[in-house]
Amino acid sequence: MKFVVSSIELLSHLQAVSRVISNKNTLPILDNFLFSMEKGVLKITASDLESTLVTSLQLENTDGSGDIAIPAKILTDILKEFSDIPLTFEIDINAMSIVIQSESGKFTIMGQNGAEYPQMPVLKDDQKQSLEIEGEVLLSGINKTLFATADDELRPVMNGIYMELSPDDTTFVASDAHKLVRYKRTDVNAEAASSFILPKKPASLLKNILPREEGVVKLEFDDKNAAFTLTNYKLVCRLVEGNYPSYNSVIPTDNPYKMTIDRVEFYNVLRRVSVFSNQASNLVKLALSGNQLSISAQDIDFSISANERLNCQYEGEDMEIGFKSTFLIEILSNLATSDVIMEMSDPTRAGILLPSGSDDENEDILMLLMPMMINT
Amino acid sequence: MDLDTFFVSVERLQNSALEGKPVIIGGTSDRGVVSSCSYEARRFGVHSAMPMKFAKALCSEAIVVRGDMDVYTRYSKMVSDIIAEKAPVYEKASIDEHYLDISGMDRFFGCLQWTKELRQEIIRETGLPISCGLSVNKTVSKIATGEAKPNGEIEVPLPIVKDFLSPLSIRKIPMIGNKTYHLLRSMGVSNIGTLSLIPIEMMESLMGKNGIVIWKKANGIDPTPVMQYSERKSIGSERTFERDTMDIMGINDLLVSMVEKLAFQLRKEEKLSSVITVKIRYSNFDTHTLQKRIAYTSFDHVLIPLAKELFERLYTRRMLLRLVGVKLSGLVRGVQQLNLFEDTSEMIKLYMAMDSLRKRFGSGSVRRASGIKMKEFEEKKKCI
Repeated sequence: MKFVVSSIELLSHLQAVSRVISNKNTLPILDNFLFSMEKGVLKITASDLESTLVTSLQLENTDGSGDIAIPAKILTDILKEFSDIPLTFEIDINAMSIVIQSESGKFTIMGQNGAEYPQMPVLKDDQKQSLEIEGEVLLSGINKTLFATADDELRPVMNGIYMELSPDDTTFVASDAHKLVRYKRTDVNAEAASSFILPKKPASLLKNILPREEGVVKLEFDDKNAAFTLTNYKLVCRLVEGNYPSYNSVIPTDNPYKMTIDRVEFYNVLRRVSVFSNQASNLVKLALSGNQLSISAQDIDFSISANERLNCQYEGEDMEIGFKSTFLIEILSNLATSDVIMEMSDPTRAGILLPSGSDDENEDILMLLMPMMINT
Repeated sequence: MDLDTFFVSVERLQNSALEGKPVIIGGTSDRGVVSSCSYEARRFGVHSAMPMKFAKALCSEAIVVRGDMDVYTRYSKMVSDIIAEKAPVYEKASIDEHYLDISGMDRFFGCLQWTKELRQEIIRETGLPISCGLSVNKTVSKIATGEAKPNGEIEVPLPIVKDFLSPLSIRKIPMIGNKTYHLLRSMGVSNIGTLSLIPIEMMESLMGKNGIVIWKKANGIDPTPVMQYSERKSIGSERTFERDTMDIMGINDLLVSMVEKLAFQLRKEEKLSSVITVKIRYSNFDTHTLQKRIAYTSFDHVLIPLAKELFERLYTRRMLLRLVGVKLSGLVRGVQQLNLFEDTSEMIKLYMAMDSLRKRFGSGSVRRASGIKMKEFEEKKKCI
């Protein structure tokens, strides 16, 4: 087979899909891209067995069809070195050789039999559910929750984003048992209630390719796999098996104390004060009294300490609560509104952070952070 | 500075009837050892680390006291606090020893005067006899303190360091234990003066690196600085049984109460542990340990099952056990990050309430029921 393609365009597609390729593959063929040509459309597939990402390019100058696996590293390395020029690929499927011709040069690569490349998993028709979701909505759902996922080999269900679909709304949940994010959209509705856990890796792949695309994403899933179909990309991934912990029961509902504070100011103060916190625990103490929030940290080992005060609106009794500053900073940086509301009940219960006056009435964000045990 | 017969002095403060009588502190059972004894008892040949049975035979009228480490620690801290207030740099070498670096304090009417005043203050404030040796480095000061006892003070200025050390027995050098002592004695070396005259090369070929250090000490050379503070690497607890035992239930209960105490200590010091080690010693003195890396924690309910699990894996032979111990290491400063799914608010409040009780009334004031049974366990053992 033979085709002509712009080097930059090909590279941009390859770079998008190459993120799937893991550097500790069990199958050597997974170090390759699968190139399949059919009716003038070139499909490029990359896979790590868990996730498979396919991109397609509509080409004009093509000849023949077939499948071949091309080593990923050498192909991207050579493409990086070209300016935007047309390249002619001449592929001899029988000899498994790939010849790339530019105006002045000729580069030869040896490929592998495309038939050996693992097949993409197929969703079971009888169990399949599908849903259309706006690309932007999916992107913000992933963006808001991905940071809160866990990295715990012992509890794999926590290493992903839990998507809970219902006829009324769609909820994205992520938690590592210390922090939890619940992102609810009322403008995405499924036909029936169902749920799945999207692992971290495909979620971050989607986070990367969604901004490149416009329009609606078609989401299909069964009990094992999920497929996301975009205009030029298709991602199929294995889902995390198991039951997600019942997150709603751990979100405290009775939180009488409420603080409203300027998000950016709060964030900046935390960044400053946390420099002085103990490097192992990153503990910062928030002391609320009247309409003042005092944020303090200390590291006894180095005899350093910091304390800064901020004005806020506070309704509740005076209290002191400790948090891990890195978590609190992460949460604040993932909220967008100018003010945030923090709801609390006591120093042993979770603090809840909510955006104050969100622009989008279709979204409902709740971020929760467990405190650290402080001696009082 | 070294507190004289520290444990005995504390016991005497609490019970004046012990004044002027031979007192031995240590395990009261026949298998216990002497941890401290009064000068009156020493006259009979009793010394610390001697088996209690032996000590009682030597000095039958001695009053044997079980000893209370909590009280000793409290008094030790009182002394440290006084020293911390006055001295520029100090090192707490053990419960009853402090090294002070008072370079520069000579401006206050001379170092000796300053030291005397400090010593008098400690005696006045705590009522404990204390001896001190003032000299050029840690080794000479320690030897001098030993010479100053009981309840005295000695100054060994630089010009007379050698004259001071020379006539003393080589046993007085802190590094020389029984073996080295016998080795040197067999060579005809009995006092420090002779030792200091041995060529350093010979000491090296005889005892390796330690030989050089001992030779330097004998010559009054010790460059080690007075270190204000050194981070503790682990905390642990172990127990030798009155009688070797196979009571697995009882041992499990013992592990629970040990872990409970250690975990409280962690929380009190705002530390977290990442390694738990369990140690057992069979009756034939075969000692085995097993450790496990864990996520940073200071919670009893996480550590107790781990200790039990390690013990179960460790105890494989059907043989009587002589000792069990638990150690928590890999310590970092920090407090527990609470877990959304595992730590309920009620449990955290329970921990906080129990800890505040313990802080007020002592670490044994509240404990798990299986820990309370420990007393019965011990009594039962005694009856058998």
